[in-house]
Amino acid sequence: MAIENPNIRADMIEVSEFPELGQRYQVYGVPLTVANEKVRFEGGAPEPYFIPQLLNQLGIASPPTEILDANAT
Amino acid sequence: MGLLKDQDRDALRQEFTALTERVRIIFFAQALGCETCGITGQILDEIAPLSDKIELVKLNYAIDRAAVEQYAIQRIPAFAIVRLEESQNERGETEIIERDYGIRFYGVPSGYEFMSLIGAILDVSSGDSHLAPQTRALLSQVTQPTHLQVFTTPT
Repeated sequence: MAIENPNIRADMIEVSEFPELGQRYQVYGVPLTVANEKVRFEGGAPEPYFIPQLLNQLGIASPPTEILDANAT
Repeated sequence: MGLLKDQDRDALRQEFTALTERVRIIFFAQALGCETCGITGQILDEIAPLSDKIELVKLNYAIDRAAVEQYAIQRIPAFAIVRLEESQNERGETEIIERDYGIRFYGVPSGYEFMSLIGAILDVSSGDSHLAPQTRALLSQVTQPTHLQVFTTPT
């Protein structure tokens, strides 16, 4: 995602080494993705579900259903 | 003693033959008060020589504050992975510039994170996200600064 768009940056964090972050973001299961401090996405998911969901929750892009459908195939 | 087994080294060497552009790993650590800086540095030390397209730069988190700022490093151990591109300056000379996609790793890249690290090196080198065209179209709509934090554990 960060490679695709210069507005996006991405941190990969090994949370057991940074317990204060585990606390702050209430990391009880991994992987956990936190976007802009507010949107949470728990668990792993395939790209066609994960990215539209995340962007949708961020209010950045609301994908038309045909895009989701096309991705799902 | 090496952390990587000989067969892993061979497999990675093979995988890194796919690298197109050079990548630079900028590693931030310090000797005191950082339990996992040593092992992280050792992993990077073992990966970098596996391809002449990988360059490793080691900086000190306490001393190299300009770089800490430039790469927006929040904590250590940390490293950024950037692509090195050749560009012509106004005098027609070739310069090396860094293309920074904002990809950072915090903590020891072991277990699942190790695979993420190898994947990140390959993707940063190619500049290709390998995402589906529909996903790329969605991502092109992101016009605000967006910060993703992906939390993992070693296993």
